[in-house]
Amino acid sequence: MASRSSALARPPAFRGVGRSILLTLPMALWSLLMFTPSFQHASGDHYIGAAAVILFMTGLFFLMMRTGETYRWRRIFFVALGFLFPVGFIAALVAERGTMSIPISRMVSGDTPFCFMVTPSIILPAAFARTVIFPGSILPTASNPHSIAIMIGLWFALTLVMGKAWCSYACFFGGIEEGFAALPKRRRLHRFITRFGAQLRLIPWAILVFVVLVSAAIFEPVYCMWLCPFKAVTEFPAVRNVETAIQMVVFIALFVGLVVVLPYLTKKRTQCGFFCPFGAFQSLFNKINLFEIRINREKCVDCGLCQTSCPTVALSKDSIREGKTLLNCMKCGACVDACKKDAAVWHLKGTPVAAKPERARLLFLYGTWALATMFGGSVLANGVHTLIGFLPLK
Amino acid sequence: MRTRILTILAYTGAALTLVVAVCVPFVLMGAFSNAVAHAGLHIDAAYSGGTVARTIDRGRYTIVVYQPVEPRLLERIEPFVQIVFEPAESLPAHVSDEIDLDGDGRPDVRVSFNVPADANAPLRGDVTALNATYISLTNVAGESFSRMVVRAGKQIVVRIPLHEGPARR
Repeated sequence: MASRSSALARPPAFRGVGRSILLTLPMALWSLLMFTPSFQHASGDHYIGAAAVILFMTGLFFLMMRTGETYRWRRIFFVALGFLFPVGFIAALVAERGTMSIPISRMVSGDTPFCFMVTPSIILPAAFARTVIFPGSILPTASNPHSIAIMIGLWFALTLVMGKAWCSYACFFGGIEEGFAALPKRRRLHRFITRFGAQLRLIPWAILVFVVLVSAAIFEPVYCMWLCPFKAVTEFPAVRNVETAIQMVVFIALFVGLVVVLPYLTKKRTQCGFFCPFGAFQSLFNKINLFEIRINREKCVDCGLCQTSCPTVALSKDSIREGKTLLNCMKCGACVDACKKDAAVWHLKGTPVAAKPERARLLFLYGTWALATMFGGSVLANGVHTLIGFLPLK
Repeated sequence: MRTRILTILAYTGAALTLVVAVCVPFVLMGAFSNAVAHAGLHIDAAYSGGTVARTIDRGRYTIVVYQPVEPRLLERIEPFVQIVFEPAESLPAHVSDEIDLDGDGRPDVRVSFNVPADANAPLRGDVTALNATYISLTNVAGESFSRMVVRAGKQIVVRIPLHEGPARR
């Protein structure tokens, strides 16, 4: 929907080919730099995977420059990220241990890869008891390179640059539901979401407070153990008793409901917008991030297209009147691309609204896309490499 | 004037954000990871087994005895003590060891299990409590974080639950 309306809003060529190539050049060089190690000790599959990702990421950035649209091209990357991450991850798990489940033996030996989603849950025990309530290892080991220190370091570094945009440029889980949300042509339950948007937006905060406090009280990563829908497509505690069986049922139910069915029906990222406590936590970083989306009141005609197009309901009538997005805006660019009056604009905090929106967009995209290439690109390359391994070519 | 200063600050900040972005893969990610690594954090004892109390040398293999792990106020685990047999490859086909867990010179539990030649084969074992502090286990595998006999890489990890109450040291 958003891309169609944006196609109406802007001419097909927002910027000339030459200028677009010039603006893309730094990103092409960056992509090469990021994937040079892949070429050094590459097998044929790795070479193809890395080359495909360089072309893919650079090509999408070129199209962002050429068309002036962000959302449509970002979504292609993000959905690919969402669907290729489980491919690479599950294949690696199955190759290593023959199953997606984590046996208790791997938990006690610290071999569980750390997932950034658990970050809010571990903060209080880490701060007050110096204890990490996650069955991983602090430092990387041969059997667990995705240690807690490495993954938190990576998340924090990316968050400094992206803020809440992590949720639309780095989080591979969000890509899965964005893919399902992109499938239908018609939007259902729209009235319900518009009417109860304010309440729905509060749910992730309530879950965040709940998981942080309960995790600290019982010294367990409650979200991981009970509420994470993405356990269904990554790894989950092996079913060994009634409790772990119930957990498994909960994971599958949440995944089917929040990541597949509701996004398909509503064309919204329902898990991200109305459930994910990590997303709520990440929203706090919007306060320190310099980039945001603003509504230019001089151009706005209150048509509500921006509100309708937002995948996480980060705009309300009141916020539009104030010319702002809400705290949970993940800077995906859907509203900017949907606005036919160019009233929704990229903005650099501290500068006059709508003074240089394209400059703000470029500054935002260079930093964010560079890190999306670094982090998401490696995930994509791994997924492509895995898929090539499945082909009956060998 | 204020607008101009704010604008200059904003673009300076944006430029710094770009510098930070470029530094992430080369410097910053490692720096933040090192900061976390040196923050003095440790994995919760329910997962790691806690701290090592002492080791018992059995010639071909070693038994590492850990300090008892007490659950915190609302923690859902039973109190337990972890012992580790390592290296697993050096263990005989059948292990039956009487082990002094509390260091008083008298054995506290008898642990017995068969060691399959295949490292991925399921493992089960028995624990017989020789004093009232410990709880016996029969044909146990990886039932819970407090009751287990499992193979974890090159180790056989055994966790023995403890009775609640003052009988424990």
